[in-house]
Amino acid sequence: MPDFKTVFWSFLIGGTVLGGLSGHAARAADVDQDVMNRGAYLATAADCIACHTKPGGTPFAGGLKIATPMGDIISTNITPDADHGIGKYSEHDFEQALRRGKRRDGENLYPVMPYVSYAGMTDQDIHALYVWFMNGVKPVAETPPATQLSFPSNIRLTLSGWNMLAGSEKQETGDSATYDKLRRGKYLATALEHCGTCHTPRNVMLMEKSDEFLAGSPVAGWYAPNITPSKTGGIGDWNEDDVVQYLRTGRVKGKSQAAGPMGEAVEHSTSHLTDADLHALAAFVLQVKPIDDTADHQPRDAFGKANDIPDLRSGELTRIDNLSHKNPENLFDANCAACHEQNGAGTADQYAPSLYKNSVVGAGRPDNLIMTILTGVNRKTADGHASMPAFGSTSDVQRLDDEEVASLVNYVSKTFGSGTYQVTADQVAQVRKEHTQH
Amino acid sequence: MSSDQNLSADVVIVGSGVAGSSIANELARAGISVVVLEAGPRVDRQHFVDNFRNLENKPSYQGPFPSTPWAEHPPNQITPNKYLHTSGPNAEAYQQVYLRMMGGTTWHWAGCAWRYLPSDFELKTRYGQGRDWALKYDDLEPFYYQAEVMMGVCGPDPKVEDLGSPRKQPYPMEALPISYAAQQFRKLISEKTPYRVVHEPQARNTKPYDGRPTCEGHNNCMPICPIGAMYNGGYSVYHAEAAGAKFVPNAVVYKIERDSANKKVTAVHYYDPDKGSHRVTGKYFVIAAHCIETAKLLLVSADEQSPDGIANSSGHVGRNMMDHTGVQVTFISGDKALWPGRGPLETNVIDNFRDGDWRGDRGAYLVHMVDDNQVDFATQLAISKGYVGRDLEEQIRYLASHTVRLFSHNEALPDPDNRLTLSTTHKDALGIPHPDVYYKLPEYTVRSCEHTRGLFKNLIGLMHGTDEQWTPGYFPQDHPSGSTIMGVDPKDSVVDGHCRTHDHENLFIASSSVFSTVGTGNITLTVAALALRVADTLKKELLHA
Repeated sequence: MPDFKTVFWSFLIGGTVLGGLSGHAARAADVDQDVMNRGAYLATAADCIACHTKPGGTPFAGGLKIATPMGDIISTNITPDADHGIGKYSEHDFEQALRRGKRRDGENLYPVMPYVSYAGMTDQDIHALYVWFMNGVKPVAETPPATQLSFPSNIRLTLSGWNMLAGSEKQETGDSATYDKLRRGKYLATALEHCGTCHTPRNVMLMEKSDEFLAGSPVAGWYAPNITPSKTGGIGDWNEDDVVQYLRTGRVKGKSQAAGPMGEAVEHSTSHLTDADLHALAAFVLQVKPIDDTADHQPRDAFGKANDIPDLRSGELTRIDNLSHKNPENLFDANCAACHEQNGAGTADQYAPSLYKNSVVGAGRPDNLIMTILTGVNRKTADGHASMPAFGSTSDVQRLDDEEVASLVNYVSKTFGSGTYQVTADQVAQVRKEHTQH
Repeated sequence: MSSDQNLSADVVIVGSGVAGSSIANELARAGISVVVLEAGPRVDRQHFVDNFRNLENKPSYQGPFPSTPWAEHPPNQITPNKYLHTSGPNAEAYQQVYLRMMGGTTWHWAGCAWRYLPSDFELKTRYGQGRDWALKYDDLEPFYYQAEVMMGVCGPDPKVEDLGSPRKQPYPMEALPISYAAQQFRKLISEKTPYRVVHEPQARNTKPYDGRPTCEGHNNCMPICPIGAMYNGGYSVYHAEAAGAKFVPNAVVYKIERDSANKKVTAVHYYDPDKGSHRVTGKYFVIAAHCIETAKLLLVSADEQSPDGIANSSGHVGRNMMDHTGVQVTFISGDKALWPGRGPLETNVIDNFRDGDWRGDRGAYLVHMVDDNQVDFATQLAISKGYVGRDLEEQIRYLASHTVRLFSHNEALPDPDNRLTLSTTHKDALGIPHPDVYYKLPEYTVRSCEHTRGLFKNLIGLMHGTDEQWTPGYFPQDHPSGSTIMGVDPKDSVVDGHCRTHDHENLFIASSSVFSTVGTGNITLTVAALALRVADTLKKELLHA
């Protein structure tokens, strides 16, 4: 079962800032260190930091703008500052927020806070989390801007009805550290990592469809794909070690790599889990109900092969002020081939991955390919710093316009992937506008 | 005349290379209004990569950058040149190439980011040669670091490899790994000579930095880094624009207007590509247009008030032209294969001759073992030896893996006779004269080059070299400098220690043109540090006025 101490230290080294040196540390000294360690690990496993920290901001001080179908929701300060954070929360208040989505003042939280998932946490784990948040996190005296939604979403009372309909994870009992592998895996996937928040499709009421658990869903311009063990639509061709490696490092050579929100989840959360927990999580995910996808007819990481582009040398030079659009193969050659190679094979060590046998390129939907080109990859784990520059409108490396991105996406998909879609410049423009600053 | 008659800013900058763009970025971030006038166009990387693929002569650094007719730059380093006309005993040694476009010549530099040595700023005092700068190393140290952070410079830990320029901070990134060829060279030098090979500081990513990727060793930094791992001034243009600076491409400044007392600059005038004229007013003006174009602009702007050109009461505008004019040899090593061409172009340097008491007599120098792909050289050599068929293929393979190329940067001295003037015979499409340069290598530099030749001959012997090919005469390094020289005395210099012109209190120059002497390290980092110091001065004057 999890070695909480080891993980606690790797968590610290991983860059998450704790209170440490203030008067705060004195308080921390009075509390049970095992409980603290457990709380810290749980906070990592539940990936609280992902939403409750803005880019470049202090951990857990909130301020991240989260796009939802209801509008932009701004995450709150959950540091133990009495006026700006959750310093006045009793353990009961804390439990109500986590499991029921109730604020201390009785108002409903917006369900972008995954309380329907956290409802599954045990009392013991809620307690450890509470102790750690109150004693281990540095209080930050700042209040992020308030969320401003338009009617009727701004009426938090309407959420009471939603909460009744949505249902939630069944609360687990006992000591979660002593569960057998599959029970522990389920606990991690549902109550802590809340995989379904992104990967499970939602109905018109924006509730997770429980009969399509982990079958794939759009998230902020990206697509959290089907990760059920379906042989065609999901990851039925992955074994437990593949899933473990993916969650630990963000990539499996010849299959897939994490970027966007999943890159962050790997960086901040799953890469810090113990081996035992990663195996438990992987084993659980690989035995959920397989759901075949209507768009994917073979595994998305099984498409394509090395494909040399023809010799493009024309001998013609263009004047430096001629920035006219290029043919798709020239776009690929000038922007992608230097790293991914002309034949799409990637670098020998696969630091720059192959474009064939690549779930992003093989997917039946272009979302993740568009977003990767516009925003790049930036994922740090103990395994290294995976980085691809952005090609969006703030890139220093190369700024591609909507037509160029569409042309490139279609070319890459046709040459190395499923080739099942044709993206238009308008689609790219919409993604760029709604989901990126790029 | 034009529609944007009202274009005006606190600071008007002419040129968007590393100097102009970094000043623009700093000022815009401080909330100061900035206009950057760039003679050439807005550009992007993908079109250059495409041009590079289509280029027959790959080693041609200017090749992928065919210029616009309204902002010509030298098409190549060949004499006679279609743009930069050189004359004098060493005319061919002053065939400098540079780029007139957004980001400037850093699109095709090799990223070498040396700080100068403290002694480089005090050549007169220490060795009785040349001039002293009107500033000391310590004045520039904080700005060197700022420039290193801005560009993303990697370099060795000074405790392990002290490059002689004292540092208060470590390099922003770890040094590049030494390539196989460089390892072999390093081993030879340390075992068989009293000299050493050091890691060259490089404005090149050894980790993801500033949204740009790690260098992958494509080996064509010059003429174009295909992935953006190497710094170029275009990034600073983007950053300046994001901070609110106005970037105006295709704006060829041709006139600098002053007040009636001739003490302050009031406006600059530029031509658009159709020769429509536009006037831009401001409180301060910075000419950051490259050593050659800056002097040319000051001279072109001559009028009744200043018949010898702007900022030229000393008569030194266009004089004191310097470079790191050096020596180059390529040969075939008789030892183990080196396999050059795997990694960045320039990563390792013999730095033993950057300073010493002998500097009273001959110039300093440094030696690059160039790590470029040698298939082109090997092929020509194998063909010239008469190989055909399978033997030819084998010879190319053998020679390409055994080729060694060495070249040096040798220190010049400021000589007023080495002079840039306006061409009386050639004009560009807008009617602006081309630059002419007279160049005679100073004896100080000739003696330095002779010393370098001796060293190269020793090294060829140590490597059992054959087929040596010496570049005839001297080898230009594209580090032109000195044309608006810095000094404390307005009678024999153009700018003061803050790069402010002696003649015009609101006119600054940010370029290698202000260098009083040229040292040995590549000039770009010092250009950037001086520019950031200009930005600092302007911020103080504008924000605390």
